[in-house]
Amino acid sequence: MSIELGHFAVVTALVLSFVGIITPIIGLKTRNATWVVVGRRAMISMFILLTVGMAILIYGYVTEDYSVKYIYATSNSKLPIFYKVAGLWGGHEGSLLLWAWILSLYSMLATLIHWKSQPVVMPYLILIESIVLCGFLLLILFLSNPFERIFPVPLDGKDLNPLLQDPAMVVHPPLLYLGYVGLSIPFSFAMAALFSGRLGEEWLKATQRWTVFAWTCLSCGILMGGYWAYYELGWGGYWGWDPVENAAFMPWLVVTAFLHSTMVQEKRKMFKVWNLFLIILAFSLSLIGTFLVRSGILSSVHSFAADPGRGVFILGFVCFMLLLSFGTLILRSAKLKSTVRMESMVSRESAFLFNNLFFLVALMTVFVGTLYPLLMEVLEMQKVSVGAPYYNAVFMPVALGLIFLMGVGPYIPWRKSNSKNNKKLLKLPLMVSLAAVAIFFVLGVQKPYALTGLAVVFFVLTAIFTDFNKVSAFWAKREKISRIQGFFSAYRGNPRRITGIIIHLGVLVMVVGIIFSSMYQAEKILIMKPGEEVTLKSFRFRMSKLYGVTGVNWGGQEALVDVYQEGKIIAQMHPQKRFYTVSQTPTTETAIHHLNMGHLFVTIPEVAPDGTWARVRILHNPLVLWVWYGGGIMAIGAFMNIFRRVRRRSSQVTDTAGMLPEVSPNIAQPTR
Amino acid sequence: MKEFRAWHLFLLMGLFGLFFLFYQGLWGDPTVLPPVIIEEPAPEILAPVLYEGEPIRLSDHLGKVVVLNFWASWCQECKLEHRFLLALKKRFEDNPNFVMYGVNYQDKDHLAKAYLEEHGNNFEHMIDMKGIISIDYGVYGVPETFVIDKKGIIRHKQIGPVMGDVYSELIEKVIEPLLNEPVT
Amino acid sequence: MIKLLALTVLFLLTFLLLFSQNLSAQTTPEPPPLSMNEDNLQTKTKEISQTLRCAVCQSESIWESNATLAIQMRDIIRERLLAGETGDEIRAYFVSRYGDYIVFKPRFRGINMLLWGGPFILLAIGMAVLLRKLKKWTARPEKEKPEPLAPIDETQRQRIEDELSSLK
Repeated sequence: MSIELGHFAVVTALVLSFVGIITPIIGLKTRNATWVVVGRRAMISMFILLTVGMAILIYGYVTEDYSVKYIYATSNSKLPIFYKVAGLWGGHEGSLLLWAWILSLYSMLATLIHWKSQPVVMPYLILIESIVLCGFLLLILFLSNPFERIFPVPLDGKDLNPLLQDPAMVVHPPLLYLGYVGLSIPFSFAMAALFSGRLGEEWLKATQRWTVFAWTCLSCGILMGGYWAYYELGWGGYWGWDPVENAAFMPWLVVTAFLHSTMVQEKRKMFKVWNLFLIILAFSLSLIGTFLVRSGILSSVHSFAADPGRGVFILGFVCFMLLLSFGTLILRSAKLKSTVRMESMVSRESAFLFNNLFFLVALMTVFVGTLYPLLMEVLEMQKVSVGAPYYNAVFMPVALGLIFLMGVGPYIPWRKSNSKNNKKLLKLPLMVSLAAVAIFFVLGVQKPYALTGLAVVFFVLTAIFTDFNKVSAFWAKREKISRIQGFFSAYRGNPRRITGIIIHLGVLVMVVGIIFSSMYQAEKILIMKPGEEVTLKSFRFRMSKLYGVTGVNWGGQEALVDVYQEGKIIAQMHPQKRFYTVSQTPTTETAIHHLNMGHLFVTIPEVAPDGTWARVRILHNPLVLWVWYGGGIMAIGAFMNIFRRVRRRSSQVTDTAGMLPEVSPNIAQPTR
Repeated sequence: MKEFRAWHLFLLMGLFGLFFLFYQGLWGDPTVLPPVIIEEPAPEILAPVLYEGEPIRLSDHLGKVVVLNFWASWCQECKLEHRFLLALKKRFEDNPNFVMYGVNYQDKDHLAKAYLEEHGNNFEHMIDMKGIISIDYGVYGVPETFVIDKKGIIRHKQIGPVMGDVYSELIEKVIEPLLNEPVT
Repeated sequence: MIKLLALTVLFLLTFLLLFSQNLSAQTTPEPPPLSMNEDNLQTKTKEISQTLRCAVCQSESIWESNATLAIQMRDIIRERLLAGETGDEIRAYFVSRYGDYIVFKPRFRGINMLLWGGPFILLAIGMAVLLRKLKKWTARPEKEKPEPLAPIDETQRQRIEDELSSLK
């Protein structure tokens, strides 16, 4: 019975989404704010109703109500309670409901937070968010209903896909959706700006934190997905350039470009149309990503079951949203006379332009690579595959260019730079990076790609620390405090800049992790019998025994692998081959040993039925943890940015402060 | 009309191009793959047989029409086509120019034998434990059926079970014409 | 200066491109079978398997996949390496059996060249357009000289001082 209540709540939310579409329109036509208030109430009610829907489904999971088809398909009575709840987003239908719920949460929060400060935006915000929500609720209720019942009622569920029975997978989808969906807030603000013709910097300033938050969630979601793939899929890599991974990566690239280029508009009031274009593109890509993932159009490890009906609906919805947003942009942008005021070819502004160019090229690489097989198939030319080797050759150089810019862009002053300053800017970093290359070469890192990467990393690193040093010294002198305190003063003076650079540091750490874990990874796959040994680099792996194990809802075999280095045992690892009895699926459980921020990694993808031998995959992944440490640093920087103190300054002071290049070109640029 | 710029046009063209691509793509199946080695010389096979006997060498049968059926005991679709295969063999039993072999793929000896005992058997089978023959013939999965002409050229590849219409077409449009072709 | 930067970046890219070509070229010369000890046999097998698609999986290479077909394909690669074949020969063998679909890097020919070169062409065009635009934009103020940087007057300077000291 209660399931029908949840179903009813979601149906009501759908009806209310129409209210949310109609009332702001009437309000705008009649210039009567009461209608917008109704829209706001609809927004809040939708959130409550969807929460009820979600809660009732979760209740169904916990109480093991397998008369609900979706619960039957993604749960089982033997599952730990943790995974019972997470089963909600373990399949297509429930994860869509989560999508819609997060969207309603965002729209409600944005409506409540900006109600007073952004009254003009409100009707448009409610309108746009309701349209998106309406589209998703239609999809949920008519083509992928999680509340559908089955009869006869099965005794037990089919079990959650064992690969998803993992803590990272519990957190990964909500994080990713928080990222995807969070983009809808700046998108709505941008649309409001276009509709209302208030195309100033206000929408950017109002949504800056929303965008950073969405970006952070998206980044963390992607990284967590990578970590999950790393140990759960058991092939020792965290990124496979799979179409679905690319679908999440593409909006990330555009949002990152957007976060950079908005700074130009805030500071110098340029590139207004460009920023609008970028945020529309970012949200469009998150919708296109949803289409790619859920229509089964591309073959991927992660895709949901294919269903052309759903595909057609989502495509129709995506077409509608894209035409609406880009169409408005085209019609309205004519109003915006571009007022580019540039004083020098070398300035922060131009650096941002190059940054955007590189991000866009990076995006095109991923976009074309992802869709190329589809294009070839539609044109009936040939059936091709585009995979990691392509991206390694084409994407990586562009990415390195971007990282290189990271060491230049933030340190060129706004407006104008002189050549003396430029030389100073490049000299030390170049010297340090050359020295680093020499040292690494002597230490044995001799692959050209790795050396180039490290050169770029050290270039940027030096640039960052030179700048930190300069800023701290400046504040220390001014306020007569120590350098370290000076650094904190600098942070308080311009938190956005410092947090941005912390994020850059995180990127560098990640890049080092990627370089070493991909280019200096050592790996062997072989068949081993108990008692046999194999060496990998300086490690000796000995499989001492193979034996049976059982868990709550699985049975399987485990190997005991002893690892020796220089004659001493350094680790005992227990990789498993599991067989989940309910869903009849095998999985491989990775054994990981941490070693100097790298990993020893063992899996047994195949075990002889009689237990006499196992196929073993052993890896040494040096510095692989840096990938996620870097991600962690990025997240810290991003959260410091989101929760920075809001300083109230009169705009006049800000403007004057920006005109202090002769005092110190890079320091005194407090924002807000 | 407001002023229309070049990038407007590019953007719209890009959007509609994308929509068209996606729409067309929806009707394709990314898992369907085009057959590759048709009309090419059949790779040589030298393989042990499932039951007792001499290893089979494909080139020994030059001048005959050879049907190769890749199958496995764990394969559901193979069970569907099995009686058609038996019928096929029976139909051409008396034709000296017709040879038919099963290729047992990714399987275990005893399971394959048990399968044949259960479903009946009237032709010879070779074993391909390591997948060497199957990969040489570009086999994705079982069942797949190849027809090789008298000159040793692969003339037909059937992905999926040979049954119903596929069965009669295979006989009428492929095997019989090939049997009637002269040997040169 | 900007030209210098652009040049540096372009140089970096070409350098990388050349090297990445070199890297793949390095794998082509035939390795003498004698040097095929277990270690570099494993490395070579990995290198080649990573460029081949596991035909029965969803976008996984045969190195990553644990499907039977992938395992068997890896064994075949290993055997062919032992027989002295090169990476390109082995890839060509699989393409002849399974078609272009089996390789993860589309061959550099015909329309595929657009896929490989596209991003770099785009980058080059983007660079050119951007540099031209920048030139145009920066040329304007010299003609018009609209707003020279206003010198900071004493009151403003005072305000900044106050602001800064309030930061403590």
